[in-house]
Amino acid sequence: MNRLNTLALAAALAGAAALPAAAQPGHGTTPPAPGALRPFRVPTPQEFTLDNGLRVVVVNQPALPIVNARIIVKAGSLYEPAEKNGLAQLTALLLREGAAGMTGSQIAQRMERLGAQFQTGAGWANASAQVTALKPVLGEALELAAKTVMQPTFPENEFTRVRTQQIANWAQNQATVEGLSNDAFARAIFEPSAPYSRQPSGTRATLEGLTLQDVTGWHHQMYSPRNAILLLVGDVNAAEARQLAQRAFGGWTGAAVNLPAVSNPVRAANGTRVILVDRPGSVQSGVWVGQASVGWGDPDYFAMRALSEVLGGGFKARANMNLRERHGWTYGAFTFFNPRAGVGPFAITSSVRTNATDSAVAEAVREYRRIATEPVPAAELTSTLNNVVGSFPNSVQTVQGLAGNMETALLYGLPMDFWTTFRERVAAVTPADITRVGGSKVRPDAVTVVVAGDLSRIEAPIRALNLGTVEVWDADGNKVR
Amino acid sequence: MRPLHHALVLAALLPGALAAQAARQPAGSQATRITYTEETLPNGLKVLYHVDRSTPVAAVDIWYNVGSKMEQPGHTGFAHLFEHMMFKGSRNVPDGQHFALLEGAGARAGSDINGTTSWDRTNYFEQLPSNQLELALWLEADRMGTLTDVLTREKLDNQREVVKNERRQGVDNQPYGTWLEKMLAYIYPESHPYHHSVIGSMEDLSAASVDDVKNFFRTYYAPNNAVLVVAGDIDVDQAKALVRKHFGWIPRAGAAPPLREMSLPTVIGRPQREVVPDANAPVPAVYVGFRVPSARDRRAETVQMLSAMLSGRSGPLYEALVRRAGVATNVGVFNFGLVDGADILVVNATGKPGSNADSLEAAVLREVGNAMGALTTEELDRARAQARFNLINGLQRTGGFGGRADMLAQGYTFYRDPNWVNTRLAAFDRVTLPDVQALARERLVPDNRVILVYVPNRAPAAQPQTPARP
Repeated sequence: MNRLNTLALAAALAGAAALPAAAQPGHGTTPPAPGALRPFRVPTPQEFTLDNGLRVVVVNQPALPIVNARIIVKAGSLYEPAEKNGLAQLTALLLREGAAGMTGSQIAQRMERLGAQFQTGAGWANASAQVTALKPVLGEALELAAKTVMQPTFPENEFTRVRTQQIANWAQNQATVEGLSNDAFARAIFEPSAPYSRQPSGTRATLEGLTLQDVTGWHHQMYSPRNAILLLVGDVNAAEARQLAQRAFGGWTGAAVNLPAVSNPVRAANGTRVILVDRPGSVQSGVWVGQASVGWGDPDYFAMRALSEVLGGGFKARANMNLRERHGWTYGAFTFFNPRAGVGPFAITSSVRTNATDSAVAEAVREYRRIATEPVPAAELTSTLNNVVGSFPNSVQTVQGLAGNMETALLYGLPMDFWTTFRERVAAVTPADITRVGGSKVRPDAVTVVVAGDLSRIEAPIRALNLGTVEVWDADGNKVR
Repeated sequence: MRPLHHALVLAALLPGALAAQAARQPAGSQATRITYTEETLPNGLKVLYHVDRSTPVAAVDIWYNVGSKMEQPGHTGFAHLFEHMMFKGSRNVPDGQHFALLEGAGARAGSDINGTTSWDRTNYFEQLPSNQLELALWLEADRMGTLTDVLTREKLDNQREVVKNERRQGVDNQPYGTWLEKMLAYIYPESHPYHHSVIGSMEDLSAASVDDVKNFFRTYYAPNNAVLVVAGDIDVDQAKALVRKHFGWIPRAGAAPPLREMSLPTVIGRPQREVVPDANAPVPAVYVGFRVPSARDRRAETVQMLSAMLSGRSGPLYEALVRRAGVATNVGVFNFGLVDGADILVVNATGKPGSNADSLEAAVLREVGNAMGALTTEELDRARAQARFNLINGLQRTGGFGGRADMLAQGYTFYRDPNWVNTRLAAFDRVTLPDVQALARERLVPDNRVILVYVPNRAPAAQPQTPARP
């Protein structure tokens, strides 16, 4: 920008460039030490409740004129009957395909002309309608989003189309080793009665059984201001939020919803269990090694998070260094640590090349057992904790990132200062904590191994590892042999 | 929709979900101006400094003016393989320590630390707590200055295997995984530098020697062939001193060899079509590609507007193919943004289980023809509104994929204009409806079209091309 200064500077330095090319004045041979850490605080959420019972939570982060707003309804797949698996997600997807006299096309057109990003969907815990918009159009975008939640029309043709789309997505997922192994792992670690043994997207069989009446009934039963939270994050303060919320949702009515009690029983496992799923011709195999572990709110969350980070939280973590960097079997190997309500899966997962699948499984199992049974060196733990603590501000720099964390806190009943104190609590984890959870929350003697791949090439070598009992499942989780 | 974008640029490792979300967002606004200070070191290194103290994070982002288009025949995939080697240590950084130091300093691999290779450039970035800025500069300087000192056959063999796994995961084992390399091969003639994919041929990779890699480094990895961006919670004077200290001693290199001829006729000149049986594909899919003006052409923004007008959930193709005809479950329209000679605009439609590939193809071609009628002022306004949003949305991040540092580096690397990010919205505003219509009439024609029809083929499994076990 300042061309004059730049030129003068370049000229001044040109003389110094006469140094021998190989000299490294000042560059140094050891990593520079960090400067003083600068303070960082997550903005404090504020909240209020509208007269109709809708809880509103606001987090003011005004760095840029952008806001992420999400209407979170406790209508996730946790609460749907097993035979109607996929209903919560299908209903949420259909919200935007017709509402308050508008067609799906018209809703999409209005949102896109506002330049807003709008999506609806559902996971295990909740359904949501989420809009991200520049501040000047936020009000209009939020009112439109609110109509899709409060007054969806669920046209028959859209129901048929979106259900077909869900079936197609299911088929795409089944076509990959990542999808096949992920589905099988959930079925392997949870009892069939557990919603967590299924995916929120449903299966072909359950989706084909859903009717339009199921969808309208589900919406009527679950969507109410007293079963929802409005979360606004970004360039919006509490006074603005109150106005926005009142205008968009003030007219919403509905009673409290009695959510059914949900439990997610874990399969009792004695010894290591191996599940294989065939995908003929596959050049890679999808591998999972793990079990059910802690959920949100567990006092051992931070210790387990740290254990997971040491084992597979980053590039330098054990799983990736072993399977990718030492052996070149994969493009990456990481842990999947996904606390949910009361429980959640924990595993090493990777896509590995077919002819090294047995070796990769053996090493993944070995690493899994080692973290649970051998003390973690203090230096390794410190470096890992520094990573989680230091990267936290990066992860909440966007309104979407910050809102995602706040949504987790709201859904799982975490204290609203959870993210404010997050870094301090991570930093406090000690090697003794890892040893403790390695003994109580990880059970290396009862690990579940799932591998999806070309069984004609990988089954015999995996059986030869003698890890434990071996079963072959089809893609739907039925035992073949 | 997932298979579309993520394969265009190859990364050293899979970015996290956050990065994936930011990767597609372009740049500049009237409300948000990305300010910067620039300087050029005596060794030719261009440096841009951007101050934003809203979060205590700093970003270091370095773009080398080298991509797969610089590769010579028989050496395809080198730029990308080389990018992997940049993470294998340098004179003062033992193998493995690059990630170890950065992760220990508070950066997440994938989203905050990565390297990516495209046809036109290779970049490396770190976003970390601002008190660790000097560490990132030290690491980038050390590998720019001394990488070849410690490059060994063993490290090369190891990363060759990782790249082959990357190919298996992203291409060989995915539905429609081959579409990108097929599209390139049809849009660009065999002699053209964009003809081959960034990941390159596995045979060429197998043949790469340590000397080849060292030569590649000496040619392209020099301060006078790069731009460094230092952004975020920084003090410019301090940052300048650190940059001089760590990068100032690195010698400049001779000029890189000129690119091979990149210019191309405006249209391909004949229709092309291939039916691809795909053992990985559960449903049919169609990819239609057109040769369009490049990202350095005066009509670059017109291409972007055309692409945006055709895409989206209220766009004419989604409306016709997904909602009205119901032959597709999803439709995507996008262009790559290649900077030399010509770019590619792709229309992609995915069918339903059991649907017929021929009727999907016919419907896509019909609707691309009909789309001419949908190029209206309202649709142009919609495209601009989305561009405005995408700009601000992407600029939320200091570094990482598509963040502020990336936008500044892109402007300098491709346009020799760091201010490019701040000119985006005005450039979009200058595009007129007749511009878009003229472009569509000229380029969305059968003689300029490549059709790839993917047909599910579960029966004979594709023969895997797996190398011998090391």
